[in-house]
Amino acid sequence: MIILQILINGLLLGAFYALIGIGFSLVWGVTNIINLSHGAIALLGAYLTFFLFQTFRLDPFLSIPVSFIAMFSFGYLLQRYLMNFVVKAQIFMLLILTFGLEIFLVNFMTTFFSADFRSVTPSYAGNSLVLGSIVIPYIRLAVFSICVIIAVAMALFLDKTWPGKAIKATSLDIEASMMSGINPAKIYALTFALGSGLAGVSGTLLTLTQAFSPSIAGGLTLRAFIVSILGGLGRIEGALIGGLLLGVLETFSSYLIGESYKNAIAFGLMVLVLIVKPSGLMGRKYYAEVKH
Amino acid sequence: MALLEIKNLNAGYGDLRVLRDVSMEVNEGEIVAFLGSNGAGKSTFMRTIVGLNRAWSGDVIMNGKRLTNSPSEKIIKSGIGIVPEGRRLFAGMTVTENLEMGAYCNRKDIRRRMDSIFQSFPRLYERKDHLAGDLSGGEQQMCAIGRALMSEPKILLIDEFSLGLAPTVVDSLTKVVQDINRQGVSILIVEQDVQMVLEMSSRAYVMEVGAITISGNSKDLIDNPKIKEAYLGM
Ligand SMILES: Nc1ncnc2c1ncn2[C@@H]1O[C@H](COP(=O)(O)OP(=O)(O)O)[C@@H](O)[C@H]1O
Ligand SMILES: [Mg+2]
Repeated sequence: MIILQILINGLLLGAFYALIGIGFSLVWGVTNIINLSHGAIALLGAYLTFFLFQTFRLDPFLSIPVSFIAMFSFGYLLQRYLMNFVVKAQIFMLLILTFGLEIFLVNFMTTFFSADFRSVTPSYAGNSLVLGSIVIPYIRLAVFSICVIIAVAMALFLDKTWPGKAIKATSLDIEASMMSGINPAKIYALTFALGSGLAGVSGTLLTLTQAFSPSIAGGLTLRAFIVSILGGLGRIEGALIGGLLLGVLETFSSYLIGESYKNAIAFGLMVLVLIVKPSGLMGRKYYAEVKH
Repeated sequence: MALLEIKNLNAGYGDLRVLRDVSMEVNEGEIVAFLGSNGAGKSTFMRTIVGLNRAWSGDVIMNGKRLTNSPSEKIIKSGIGIVPEGRRLFAGMTVTENLEMGAYCNRKDIRRRMDSIFQSFPRLYERKDHLAGDLSGGEQQMCAIGRALMSEPKILLIDEFSLGLAPTVVDSLTKVVQDINRQGVSILIVEQDVQMVLEMSSRAYVMEVGAITISGNSKDLIDNPKIKEAYLGM
Protein backbone atom coordinates (compact mmCIF):
# COMPACT_ATOMS: atom_id res chain seq x y z
CA MET A 1 0.00 0.00 0.00
CA ILE A 2 2.85 2.37 0.79
CA ILE A 3 4.09 1.87 -2.77
CA LEU A 4 0.74 3.02 -4.15
CA GLN A 5 0.75 6.03 -1.83
CA ILE A 6 4.24 6.98 -3.01
CA LEU A 7 3.22 6.54 -6.62
CA ILE A 8 0.23 8.83 -6.12
CA ASN A 9 2.36 11.41 -4.30
CA GLY A 10 4.83 11.23 -7.18
CA LEU A 11 2.18 11.79 -9.82
CA LEU A 12 0.70 14.70 -7.88
CA LEU A 13 4.12 16.31 -7.62
CA GLY A 14 4.91 15.40 -11.23
CA ALA A 15 1.99 17.35 -12.70
CA PHE A 16 3.40 20.45 -11.05
CA TYR A 17 6.82 19.70 -12.55
CA ALA A 18 5.14 19.25 -15.92
CA LEU A 19 3.55 22.69 -15.68
CA ILE A 20 6.78 24.42 -14.80
CA GLY A 21 8.50 22.45 -17.56
CA ILE A 22 5.97 23.28 -20.28
CA GLY A 23 6.70 27.00 -20.27
CA PHE A 24 10.44 26.45 -20.11
CA SER A 25 10.39 23.89 -22.89
CA LEU A 26 8.21 26.05 -25.12
CA VAL A 27 10.53 29.03 -24.78
CA TRP A 28 13.61 26.90 -25.36
CA GLY A 29 12.13 25.07 -28.33
CA VAL A 30 10.80 28.14 -30.10
CA THR A 31 13.15 31.00 -29.28
CA ASN A 32 16.26 28.95 -28.48
CA ILE A 33 16.57 30.73 -25.15
CA ILE A 34 17.40 28.54 -22.16
CA ASN A 35 15.73 30.75 -19.61
CA LEU A 36 17.70 30.33 -16.40
CA SER A 37 15.37 32.80 -14.70
CA HIS A 38 12.32 30.59 -15.23
CA GLY A 39 12.27 29.43 -11.60
CA ALA A 40 12.67 32.99 -10.35
CA ILE A 41 9.74 34.10 -12.51
CA ALA A 42 7.68 31.27 -11.02
CA LEU A 43 8.61 32.55 -7.57
CA LEU A 44 7.44 36.05 -8.52
CA GLY A 45 4.06 34.42 -9.11
CA ALA A 46 4.35 32.69 -5.77
CA TYR A 47 5.11 35.91 -3.92
CA LEU A 48 2.34 37.74 -5.73
CA THR A 49 -0.05 35.04 -4.53
CA PHE A 50 1.39 35.23 -1.02
CA PHE A 51 1.01 39.01 -1.00
CA LEU A 52 -2.61 38.90 -2.21
CA PHE A 53 -3.43 36.24 0.36
CA GLN A 54 -1.80 38.13 3.25
CA THR A 55 -3.19 41.52 2.32
CA PHE A 56 -6.61 40.83 0.83
CA ARG A 57 -7.22 37.24 1.94
CA LEU A 58 -7.55 36.37 -1.74
CA ASP A 59 -7.91 32.61 -2.15
CA PRO A 60 -4.73 31.27 -3.82
CA PHE A 61 -6.75 29.45 -6.48
CA LEU A 62 -8.36 32.75 -7.43
CA SER A 63 -4.98 34.39 -7.89
CA ILE A 64 -4.11 31.96 -10.71
CA PRO A 65 -5.39 34.32 -13.42
CA VAL A 66 -3.77 37.28 -11.66
CA SER A 67 -0.40 35.52 -11.65
CA PHE A 68 -0.80 34.48 -15.25
CA ILE A 69 -1.63 37.95 -16.51
CA ALA A 70 1.05 39.65 -14.40
CA MET A 71 3.85 37.28 -15.42
CA PHE A 72 2.62 37.13 -19.03
CA SER A 73 2.95 40.91 -19.24
CA PHE A 74 6.31 40.84 -17.49
CA GLY A 75 7.57 38.18 -19.92
CA TYR A 76 6.25 40.03 -22.95
CA LEU A 77 8.01 43.26 -22.04
CA LEU A 78 11.19 41.41 -21.16
CA GLN A 79 11.34 39.66 -24.52
CA ARG A 80 10.18 42.58 -26.63
CA TYR A 81 12.49 45.16 -25.13
CA LEU A 82 15.46 43.15 -23.86
CA MET A 83 15.84 39.63 -25.19
CA ASN A 84 14.86 40.37 -28.80
CA PHE A 85 17.95 42.51 -29.11
CA VAL A 86 20.25 39.65 -28.25
CA VAL A 87 18.25 36.74 -29.56
CA LYS A 88 20.58 36.28 -32.50
CA ALA A 89 23.57 36.33 -30.17
CA GLN A 90 25.44 33.21 -29.25
CA ILE A 91 23.74 30.82 -26.90
CA PHE A 92 26.38 31.65 -24.28
CA MET A 93 25.38 35.33 -24.28
CA LEU A 94 21.75 34.39 -23.80
CA LEU A 95 22.66 32.15 -20.88
CA ILE A 96 24.56 34.96 -19.21
CA LEU A 97 21.66 37.33 -19.74
CA THR A 98 19.03 35.02 -18.24
CA PHE A 99 21.42 34.07 -15.44
CA GLY A 100 21.87 37.76 -14.64
CA LEU A 101 18.12 38.18 -14.64
CA GLU A 102 17.72 35.29 -12.23
CA ILE A 103 20.22 36.83 -9.81
CA PHE A 104 18.46 40.16 -10.06
CA LEU A 105 15.02 38.68 -9.43
CA VAL A 106 16.19 36.54 -6.51
CA ASN A 107 17.80 39.58 -4.89
CA PHE A 108 14.70 41.62 -5.54
CA MET A 109 12.50 39.04 -3.83
CA THR A 110 14.92 38.64 -0.94
CA THR A 111 14.86 42.39 -0.40
CA PHE A 112 11.10 42.73 -0.50
CA PHE A 113 9.97 39.46 1.06
CA SER A 114 13.09 38.42 3.02
CA ALA A 115 14.90 35.11 2.71
CA ASP A 116 12.49 33.37 5.13
CA PHE A 117 10.48 30.40 4.00
CA ARG A 118 6.83 31.32 3.47
CA SER A 119 3.69 29.34 2.92
CA VAL A 120 0.07 30.03 2.15
CA THR A 121 -2.44 28.05 4.16
CA PRO A 122 -6.09 28.58 3.33
CA SER A 123 -8.67 27.27 5.84
CA TYR A 124 -9.30 24.09 3.86
CA ALA A 125 -5.61 23.15 3.73
CA GLY A 126 -5.93 20.14 6.03
CA ASN A 127 -8.78 18.31 4.25
CA SER A 128 -8.00 15.07 2.50
CA LEU A 129 -9.60 12.39 0.44
CA VAL A 130 -9.16 9.12 2.34
CA LEU A 131 -9.44 5.83 0.44
CA GLY A 132 -8.59 3.03 2.84
CA SER A 133 -4.99 3.65 3.77
CA ILE A 134 -4.41 6.08 0.87
CA VAL A 135 -4.57 9.76 1.77
CA ILE A 136 -4.82 12.45 -0.92
CA PRO A 137 -5.04 16.07 0.22
CA TYR A 138 -7.79 17.82 -1.75
CA ILE A 139 -5.48 20.74 -2.47
CA ARG A 140 -2.94 18.50 -4.14
CA LEU A 141 -5.66 16.84 -6.15
CA ALA A 142 -6.89 20.26 -7.30
CA VAL A 143 -3.35 21.36 -8.18
CA PHE A 144 -2.86 18.17 -10.15
CA SER A 145 -6.09 18.70 -12.09
CA ILE A 146 -5.29 22.32 -12.85
CA CYS A 147 -1.84 21.39 -14.17
CA VAL A 148 -3.30 18.74 -16.46
CA ILE A 149 -6.07 21.05 -17.67
CA ILE A 150 -3.56 23.80 -18.45
CA ALA A 151 -1.35 21.35 -20.34
CA VAL A 152 -4.28 20.23 -22.47
CA ALA A 153 -5.35 23.84 -23.03
CA MET A 154 -1.82 24.76 -24.14
CA ALA A 155 -1.70 21.86 -26.58
CA LEU A 156 -5.03 22.95 -28.05
CA PHE A 157 -3.86 26.55 -28.22
CA LEU A 158 -0.76 25.57 -30.20
CA ASP A 159 -2.70 23.28 -32.51
CA LYS A 160 -5.87 25.22 -33.16
CA THR A 161 -5.40 28.97 -32.88
CA TRP A 162 -3.73 31.48 -35.19
CA PRO A 163 -1.10 32.63 -32.69
CA GLY A 164 -0.50 29.03 -31.64
CA LYS A 165 0.11 27.87 -35.18
CA ALA A 166 2.28 30.90 -35.84
CA ILE A 167 4.43 29.91 -32.86
CA LYS A 168 4.74 26.43 -34.32
CA ALA A 169 5.53 27.75 -37.79
CA THR A 170 8.16 30.15 -36.47
CA SER A 171 9.91 27.40 -34.55
CA LEU A 172 9.88 25.15 -37.62
CA ASP A 173 11.36 27.69 -40.04
CA ILE A 174 11.80 31.28 -39.04
CA GLU A 175 12.50 32.56 -42.56
CA ALA A 176 9.54 30.73 -44.03
CA SER A 177 7.39 32.27 -41.32
CA MET A 178 8.65 35.73 -42.31
CA MET A 179 7.78 34.97 -45.92
CA SER A 180 4.26 34.17 -44.73
CA GLY A 181 3.95 37.59 -43.13
CA ILE A 182 4.59 36.48 -39.56
CA ASN A 183 6.71 38.83 -37.46
CA PRO A 184 9.07 36.57 -35.47
CA ALA A 185 9.85 39.32 -32.95
CA LYS A 186 6.19 39.38 -31.94
CA ILE A 187 5.99 35.60 -31.90
CA TYR A 188 9.08 35.37 -29.70
CA ALA A 189 7.60 37.92 -27.33
CA LEU A 190 4.32 36.01 -27.21
CA THR A 191 6.15 32.73 -26.58
CA PHE A 192 8.27 34.18 -23.80
CA ALA A 193 5.16 35.80 -22.33
CA LEU A 194 3.32 32.48 -22.36
CA GLY A 195 6.29 30.71 -20.81
CA SER A 196 6.47 33.32 -18.06
CA GLY A 197 2.72 33.29 -17.55
CA LEU A 198 2.79 29.53 -17.09
CA ALA A 199 5.73 29.91 -14.71
CA GLY A 200 3.68 32.42 -12.73
CA VAL A 201 0.78 29.98 -12.48
CA SER A 202 3.08 27.20 -11.34
CA GLY A 203 4.40 29.62 -8.69
CA THR A 204 0.86 30.17 -7.44
CA LEU A 205 0.25 26.43 -7.25
CA LEU A 206 3.60 26.00 -5.52
CA THR A 207 2.41 28.13 -2.60
CA LEU A 208 -0.39 25.64 -2.00
CA THR A 209 1.81 22.59 -1.75
CA GLN A 210 5.08 23.61 -0.18
CA ALA A 211 6.99 26.31 1.66
CA PHE A 212 9.12 28.54 -0.50
CA SER A 213 11.85 31.15 -0.33
CA PRO A 214 13.85 32.98 -3.01
CA SER A 215 16.58 30.38 -2.60
CA ILE A 216 14.60 27.62 -4.33
CA ALA A 217 14.55 29.46 -7.70
CA GLY A 218 17.48 27.46 -9.04
CA GLY A 219 15.96 24.14 -7.99
CA LEU A 220 12.76 24.99 -9.87
CA THR A 221 14.69 25.92 -13.00
CA LEU A 222 16.61 22.66 -12.78
CA ARG A 223 13.34 20.69 -12.64
CA ALA A 224 12.01 22.60 -15.65
CA PHE A 225 15.26 21.87 -17.49
CA ILE A 226 15.09 18.17 -16.77
CA VAL A 227 11.43 17.94 -17.78
CA SER A 228 12.27 19.65 -21.10
CA ILE A 229 15.07 17.24 -21.82
CA LEU A 230 12.93 14.25 -20.90
CA GLY A 231 9.97 15.35 -22.98
CA GLY A 232 11.68 16.83 -26.01
CA LEU A 233 11.73 20.56 -26.64
CA GLY A 234 8.49 22.39 -27.27
CA ARG A 235 6.34 19.30 -26.82
CA ILE A 236 3.46 19.71 -24.42
CA GLU A 237 2.59 16.02 -24.12
CA GLY A 238 6.29 15.29 -23.75
CA ALA A 239 6.61 17.74 -20.86
CA LEU A 240 3.56 16.21 -19.22
CA ILE A 241 5.03 12.71 -19.34
CA GLY A 242 8.51 13.97 -18.42
CA GLY A 243 7.09 15.83 -15.43
CA LEU A 244 5.11 12.87 -14.13
CA LEU A 245 8.13 10.61 -14.55
CA LEU A 246 10.40 13.02 -12.70
CA GLY A 247 7.85 13.43 -9.90
CA VAL A 248 7.45 9.69 -9.40
CA LEU A 249 11.18 9.03 -9.58
CA GLU A 250 11.98 11.77 -7.11
CA THR A 251 9.36 10.66 -4.65
CA PHE A 252 10.49 7.04 -4.79
CA SER A 253 14.15 7.88 -4.43
CA SER A 254 13.39 10.14 -1.47
CA TYR A 255 11.65 7.21 0.17
CA LEU A 256 14.25 4.60 -0.70
CA ILE A 257 17.56 6.45 -0.50
CA GLY A 258 16.72 9.66 1.28
CA GLU A 259 15.60 13.18 0.53
CA SER A 260 19.10 14.56 -0.01
CA TYR A 261 19.83 12.41 -3.06
CA LYS A 262 16.83 13.43 -5.14
CA ASN A 263 18.69 16.14 -7.08
CA ALA A 264 21.39 13.67 -7.99
CA ILE A 265 18.82 11.09 -9.09
CA ALA A 266 16.97 13.61 -11.24
CA PHE A 267 20.22 14.70 -12.79
CA GLY A 268 21.28 11.12 -13.44
CA LEU A 269 17.98 10.45 -15.17
CA MET A 270 18.50 13.42 -17.43
CA VAL A 271 22.02 12.39 -18.37
CA LEU A 272 20.79 8.89 -19.11
CA VAL A 273 18.11 10.21 -21.47
CA LEU A 274 20.58 12.53 -23.18
CA ILE A 275 22.85 9.57 -23.87
CA VAL A 276 20.22 7.02 -24.88
CA LYS A 277 17.61 9.17 -26.59
CA PRO A 278 18.81 12.75 -27.13
CA SER A 279 15.53 13.82 -28.75
CA GLY A 280 13.65 13.11 -25.53
CA LEU A 281 11.48 10.20 -24.46
CA MET A 282 8.80 11.10 -26.96
CA GLY A 283 11.08 10.32 -29.85
CA ARG A 284 11.06 12.47 -32.95
CA LYS A 285 11.30 16.15 -32.30
CA TYR A 286 8.03 17.54 -33.41
CA TYR A 287 8.48 21.17 -34.15
CA ALA A 288 11.47 22.24 -32.22
CA GLU A 289 15.07 21.44 -32.74
CA VAL A 290 18.02 22.40 -30.63
CA LYS A 291 19.68 25.05 -32.72
CA HIS A 292 23.26 26.07 -32.22
CA MET B 1 3.51 53.03 -63.35
CA ALA B 2 5.43 49.88 -62.49
CA LEU B 3 3.89 47.59 -59.87
CA LEU B 4 7.26 46.64 -58.40
CA GLU B 5 10.22 48.89 -58.98
CA ILE B 6 13.78 48.28 -57.83
CA LYS B 7 16.30 51.11 -58.02
CA ASN B 8 20.07 50.77 -57.54
CA LEU B 9 19.75 47.98 -55.03
CA ASN B 10 22.93 46.90 -53.23
CA ALA B 11 23.10 44.05 -50.76
CA GLY B 12 25.37 41.26 -49.56
CA TYR B 13 26.56 39.13 -46.69
CA GLY B 14 29.04 40.53 -44.20
CA ASP B 15 31.74 42.15 -46.31
CA LEU B 16 30.72 40.28 -49.45
CA ARG B 17 28.87 42.54 -51.85
CA VAL B 18 26.49 40.45 -53.93
CA LEU B 19 24.00 42.83 -55.58
CA ARG B 20 25.52 45.73 -57.52
CA ASP B 21 23.19 48.61 -58.33
CA VAL B 22 20.38 46.40 -59.51
CA SER B 23 17.52 48.27 -61.16
CA MET B 24 14.50 46.63 -62.72
CA GLU B 25 10.74 46.71 -62.73
CA VAL B 26 7.71 44.51 -63.09
CA ASN B 27 4.50 45.95 -64.49
CA GLU B 28 0.99 44.92 -63.65
CA GLY B 29 0.00 41.64 -65.30
CA GLU B 30 3.48 40.81 -66.60
CA ILE B 31 5.55 37.67 -66.37
CA VAL B 32 9.20 38.70 -66.08
CA ALA B 33 12.06 36.21 -66.22
CA PHE B 34 15.18 36.66 -64.14
CA LEU B 35 18.15 34.69 -65.47
CA GLY B 36 21.69 34.13 -64.39
CA SER B 37 24.14 31.36 -63.64
CA ASN B 38 24.55 29.77 -60.24
CA GLY B 39 25.81 32.17 -57.61
CA ALA B 40 24.94 35.27 -59.66
CA GLY B 41 22.80 36.65 -56.84
CA LYS B 42 19.26 35.89 -58.00
CA SER B 43 18.10 34.40 -54.71
CA THR B 44 19.80 37.16 -52.76
CA PHE B 45 17.89 39.63 -54.93
CA MET B 46 14.53 38.03 -54.15
CA ARG B 47 15.32 37.69 -50.46
CA THR B 48 16.30 41.33 -50.27
CA ILE B 49 13.03 42.40 -51.88
CA VAL B 50 10.96 40.65 -49.20
CA GLY B 51 13.14 41.86 -46.36
CA LEU B 52 14.96 38.65 -45.45
CA ASN B 53 18.28 40.26 -46.30
CA ARG B 54 19.15 43.85 -45.49
CA ALA B 55 19.54 46.21 -48.42
CA TRP B 56 22.74 48.26 -48.14
CA SER B 57 21.30 50.98 -50.32
CA GLY B 58 18.73 51.53 -53.04
CA ASP B 59 14.95 51.35 -53.24
CA VAL B 60 12.31 48.66 -53.28
CA ILE B 61 9.10 50.34 -54.34
CA MET B 62 5.79 48.51 -54.41
CA ASN B 63 2.76 50.29 -55.80
CA GLY B 64 4.52 53.62 -55.34
CA LYS B 65 5.42 52.92 -51.68
CA ARG B 66 9.05 52.65 -50.63
CA LEU B 67 9.47 49.43 -48.66
CA THR B 68 13.26 49.07 -48.50
CA ASN B 69 14.26 47.27 -45.30
CA SER B 70 10.72 47.28 -43.94
CA PRO B 71 9.79 44.28 -41.78
CA SER B 72 8.83 41.31 -44.01
CA GLU B 73 5.42 41.39 -42.38
CA LYS B 74 4.76 44.76 -43.99
CA ILE B 75 6.26 43.79 -47.34
CA ILE B 76 4.13 40.65 -47.60
CA LYS B 77 1.07 42.67 -46.63
CA SER B 78 1.79 45.14 -49.40
CA GLY B 79 1.04 42.41 -51.92
CA ILE B 80 4.31 40.58 -52.57
CA GLY B 81 4.30 36.79 -52.31
CA ILE B 82 7.35 34.57 -52.51
CA VAL B 83 7.91 30.93 -53.42
CA PRO B 84 11.44 30.53 -52.08
CA GLU B 85 14.28 28.41 -53.34
CA GLY B 86 14.04 24.99 -51.71
CA ARG B 87 10.29 25.49 -51.01
CA ARG B 88 10.78 26.00 -47.28
CA LEU B 89 7.49 24.45 -46.19
CA PHE B 90 6.63 23.95 -42.54
CA ALA B 91 7.55 20.29 -42.59
CA GLY B 92 5.87 19.36 -39.31
CA MET B 93 2.54 20.91 -40.28
CA THR B 94 -0.14 19.60 -42.61
CA VAL B 95 -0.76 20.90 -46.13
CA THR B 96 -3.88 22.70 -44.92
CA GLU B 97 -1.97 24.31 -42.05
CA ASN B 98 0.80 25.41 -44.42
CA LEU B 99 -1.79 27.10 -46.64
CA GLU B 100 -3.39 28.72 -43.60
CA MET B 101 -0.07 30.16 -42.50
CA GLY B 102 0.22 31.74 -45.96
CA ALA B 103 -2.93 33.68 -45.13
CA TYR B 104 -1.61 34.81 -41.75
CA CYS B 105 -1.63 38.49 -42.62
CA ASN B 106 -4.77 38.41 -44.77
CA ARG B 107 -7.33 36.16 -43.12
CA LYS B 108 -10.66 37.00 -44.59
CA ASP B 109 -12.21 34.58 -47.03
CA ILE B 110 -9.67 31.85 -46.38
CA ARG B 111 -12.02 29.04 -47.38
CA ARG B 112 -12.65 30.47 -50.81
CA ARG B 113 -8.96 31.00 -51.51
CA MET B 114 -8.06 27.57 -50.27
CA ASP B 115 -10.75 26.04 -52.46
CA SER B 116 -9.40 27.80 -55.51
CA ILE B 117 -5.89 26.58 -54.74
CA PHE B 118 -7.16 23.04 -54.34
CA GLN B 119 -8.90 23.49 -57.68
CA SER B 120 -5.61 24.41 -59.34
CA PHE B 121 -3.85 21.54 -57.55
CA PRO B 122 -6.28 18.62 -57.12
CA ARG B 123 -3.35 16.49 -55.99
CA LEU B 124 -2.82 18.82 -53.07
CA TYR B 125 -6.43 18.39 -52.01
CA GLU B 126 -5.95 14.64 -51.78
CA ARG B 127 -2.96 15.24 -49.53
CA LYS B 128 -4.43 18.05 -47.47
CA ASP B 129 -4.13 16.29 -44.11
CA HIS B 130 -0.62 14.94 -44.70
CA LEU B 131 2.45 16.53 -43.17
CA ALA B 132 4.18 18.76 -45.72
CA GLY B 133 7.46 16.99 -45.00
CA ASP B 134 5.99 13.71 -46.25
CA LEU B 135 4.99 15.04 -49.70
CA SER B 136 6.83 14.37 -52.96
CA GLY B 137 8.92 17.17 -54.45
CA GLY B 138 6.22 18.18 -56.93
CA GLU B 139 3.52 18.21 -54.27
CA GLN B 140 5.75 20.27 -52.02
CA GLN B 141 6.24 22.80 -54.79
CA MET B 142 2.47 22.99 -55.30
CA CYS B 143 2.07 23.57 -51.58
CA ALA B 144 4.74 26.30 -51.63
CA ILE B 145 3.02 28.06 -54.52
CA GLY B 146 -0.34 27.65 -52.80
CA ARG B 147 0.99 29.04 -49.53
CA ALA B 148 2.35 32.13 -51.30
CA LEU B 149 -0.99 32.67 -53.08
CA MET B 150 -2.96 32.50 -49.82
CA SER B 151 -2.04 36.11 -49.03
CA GLU B 152 -3.58 37.17 -52.37
CA PRO B 153 -0.40 38.82 -53.64
CA LYS B 154 -0.38 41.23 -56.56
CA ILE B 155 3.04 39.93 -57.53
CA LEU B 156 4.54 36.51 -57.00
CA LEU B 157 8.30 35.97 -56.82
CA ILE B 158 9.20 32.39 -57.78
CA ASP B 159 12.73 31.10 -57.19
CA GLU B 160 13.72 27.98 -59.16
CA PHE B 161 10.49 26.07 -58.77
CA SER B 162 11.51 23.36 -61.26
CA LEU B 163 14.63 22.30 -59.38
CA GLY B 164 14.76 18.52 -58.98
CA LEU B 165 11.32 17.91 -60.50
CA ALA B 166 10.35 15.62 -63.38
CA PRO B 167 9.68 17.42 -66.69
CA THR B 168 5.99 16.47 -66.71
CA VAL B 169 5.54 17.92 -63.22
CA VAL B 170 7.35 21.09 -64.31
CA ASP B 171 5.03 21.37 -67.31
CA SER B 172 1.90 21.19 -65.21
CA LEU B 173 3.28 23.64 -62.64
CA THR B 174 4.16 26.02 -65.47
CA LYS B 175 0.58 25.91 -66.71
CA VAL B 176 -0.68 26.75 -63.24
CA VAL B 177 1.74 29.67 -62.99
CA GLN B 178 0.43 30.97 -66.32
CA ASP B 179 -3.15 30.57 -65.05
CA ILE B 180 -2.30 32.51 -61.93
CA ASN B 181 -0.89 35.24 -64.14
CA ARG B 182 -4.02 35.34 -66.27
CA GLN B 183 -6.00 35.93 -63.08
CA GLY B 184 -4.07 39.18 -62.73
CA VAL B 185 -1.04 38.29 -60.60
CA SER B 186 2.28 39.60 -61.91
CA ILE B 187 5.11 37.08 -61.85
CA LEU B 188 8.85 37.47 -61.41
CA ILE B 189 10.44 34.12 -62.02
CA VAL B 190 14.00 32.85 -61.54
CA GLU B 191 14.66 29.68 -63.45
CA GLN B 192 17.48 27.45 -64.69
CA ASP B 193 15.42 26.26 -67.65
CA VAL B 194 16.06 29.38 -69.72
CA GLN B 195 14.22 28.23 -72.84
CA MET B 196 11.07 27.57 -70.83
CA VAL B 197 10.94 30.89 -68.98
CA LEU B 198 11.81 32.93 -72.04
CA GLU B 199 8.84 31.32 -73.76
CA MET B 200 6.42 32.03 -70.93
CA SER B 201 7.59 35.56 -70.06
CA SER B 202 7.19 38.88 -71.83
CA ARG B 203 10.43 40.44 -70.62
CA ALA B 204 13.65 39.19 -69.06
CA TYR B 205 16.70 40.37 -67.16
CA VAL B 206 20.06 38.62 -67.05
CA MET B 207 22.18 38.97 -63.92
CA GLU B 208 25.92 38.30 -63.92
CA VAL B 209 27.92 38.53 -60.69
CA GLY B 210 25.26 40.64 -59.04
CA ALA B 211 24.69 43.16 -61.82
CA ILE B 212 22.12 43.21 -64.58
CA THR B 213 23.94 42.96 -67.90
CA ILE B 214 21.21 42.21 -70.42
CA SER B 215 17.53 43.05 -70.45
CA GLY B 216 14.80 43.16 -73.03
CA ASN B 217 11.81 41.42 -74.55
CA SER B 218 11.95 37.67 -74.09
CA LYS B 219 11.26 37.07 -77.78
CA ASP B 220 14.35 39.05 -78.69
CA LEU B 221 16.48 37.46 -76.01
CA ILE B 222 15.81 33.95 -77.31
CA ASP B 223 17.66 35.01 -80.47
CA ASN B 224 20.37 36.95 -78.64
CA PRO B 225 23.71 35.27 -79.48
CA LYS B 226 25.11 35.82 -75.98
CA ILE B 227 22.11 34.17 -74.37
CA LYS B 228 22.17 31.36 -76.88
CA GLU B 229 25.76 30.63 -76.08
CA ALA B 230 25.71 31.05 -72.33
CA TYR B 231 22.30 29.67 -71.36
CA LEU B 232 20.73 27.78 -74.21
CA GLY B 233 23.86 25.82 -75.07
CA MET B 234 23.66 26.57 -78.78
N1 LIG C 1 23.84 33.10 -46.39
C1 LIG C 1 24.92 33.46 -47.14
N2 LIG C 1 26.07 33.85 -46.54
C2 LIG C 1 27.14 34.23 -47.27
N3 LIG C 1 27.17 34.23 -48.61
C3 LIG C 1 26.06 33.84 -49.27
C4 LIG C 1 24.88 33.43 -48.57
N4 LIG C 1 23.95 33.10 -49.47
C5 LIG C 1 24.52 33.28 -50.69
N5 LIG C 1 25.78 33.72 -50.58
C6 LIG C 1 26.68 34.07 -51.67
O1 LIG C 1 26.06 35.08 -52.43
C7 LIG C 1 26.26 34.86 -53.80
C8 LIG C 1 24.93 34.82 -54.50
O2 LIG C 1 24.19 33.71 -54.06
P1 LIG C 1 22.69 33.47 -54.51
O3 LIG C 1 21.93 34.73 -54.34
O4 LIG C 1 22.19 32.28 -53.80
O5 LIG C 1 22.85 33.16 -56.07
P2 LIG C 1 21.86 32.47 -57.09
O6 LIG C 1 20.53 32.38 -56.46
O7 LIG C 1 21.89 33.36 -58.28
O8 LIG C 1 22.43 31.12 -57.40
C9 LIG C 1 27.06 33.57 -53.93
O9 LIG C 1 28.41 33.91 -54.10
C10 LIG C 1 26.87 32.90 -52.61
O10 LIG C 1 27.99 32.14 -52.26
MG1 LIG D 1 19.38 30.73 -56.08
